[in-house]
Amino acid sequence: CAQPPRPASGAADHWSGRLALQIEDASAQSFSAGFELQGSPDAGALTLFNPLGNIIAELQWTPGRAILNNGGEQRQSASLQTLVQALTGSELPIAALFGWLKGEPVQAAGWQADLSALDKGRLTATRHQPAPQAVLRVILSL
Amino acid sequence: DGLKSLENFMKTAHSGRADFTQIVTAPPKDGQAQRPKQSSGSFAFQRPGRFKFVYQKPFEQTIVADGQTLWLYDVDLNQVTQRAQAQALGSTPAALLASAPDMAALRADYALEAAPEQDGLQWVQATPKARDGQLKSVRVGFEGDKLAALDILDSFGQRSQIRFTGMQLNPALPAGSFQFKPPAGADLLKP
Repeated sequence: CAQPPRPASGAADHWSGRLALQIEDASAQSFSAGFELQGSPDAGALTLFNPLGNIIAELQWTPGRAILNNGGEQRQSASLQTLVQALTGSELPIAALFGWLKGEPVQAAGWQADLSALDKGRLTATRHQPAPQAVLRVILSL
Repeated sequence: DGLKSLENFMKTAHSGRADFTQIVTAPPKDGQAQRPKQSSGSFAFQRPGRFKFVYQKPFEQTIVADGQTLWLYDVDLNQVTQRAQAQALGSTPAALLASAPDMAALRADYALEAAPEQDGLQWVQATPKARDGQLKSVRVGFEGDKLAALDILDSFGQRSQIRFTGMQLNPALPAGSFQFKPPAGADLLKP
């Protein structure tokens, strides 16, 4: 399968680039930001940036504990998914995303990933269920 | 001093155009300094309320404020994001300096005081008044009456340094410089 790009700085696993989540017929919930993702599904961090390069929010997690910091206040939760939903307005399959970015066709309920352009730093995943359909597009800075 | 330069800049510069380079340094992570990220492009503004950042490197992205709406066009994603200008990026330092109608508008968002000269520029320290704001401190650098630099520390400890070069004040800007029409086929998002 496609040879995944080498992680940006050779650290464990570390990717950066831009991601966009488009929700069909509800573009108000759509979301797009610059990002840095590092670590693993068990322990890692996701940092989001606005177009001018300022940090919007930082999400960090370890087993059983996740912390969302948006510069003004900090939220903690036992569930990473709860804070991902709070941050992006939608359920993002973070665990699967780590696998997809490494070129592994990981299964995520309701999602279908296209890894064919990963060598060009592009990943697209479509959520068929639950409705409404959503398309996650990731562009890696190689 | 810096405050005098800022006042003159706000009074005399109704519009302007320059190239810029931006260096963003993330806060150290577990004691490890982070690699700075560099980007560059062109910047233009027209008071009140209009500005435009065209990033060329490392990727193509256009940010246009037409006075009401803020448009963000990401070329790789082929996606346009449209937001009301007031609550979106409108309050970022560069945008504010370029598009605020006058000093009073600036003082509404920032406490302004002169700062020592450095790197041959006159500086102003601008401390955001918004308590929960994203920014911790902003320093604005002038070469005479020309905006030359911005040094921004956000509340995560990330530093963004923008350097303007070849700044032209009150140039003849082509009509429609701050209009934006989404290209055909681009996705349009209105978060």
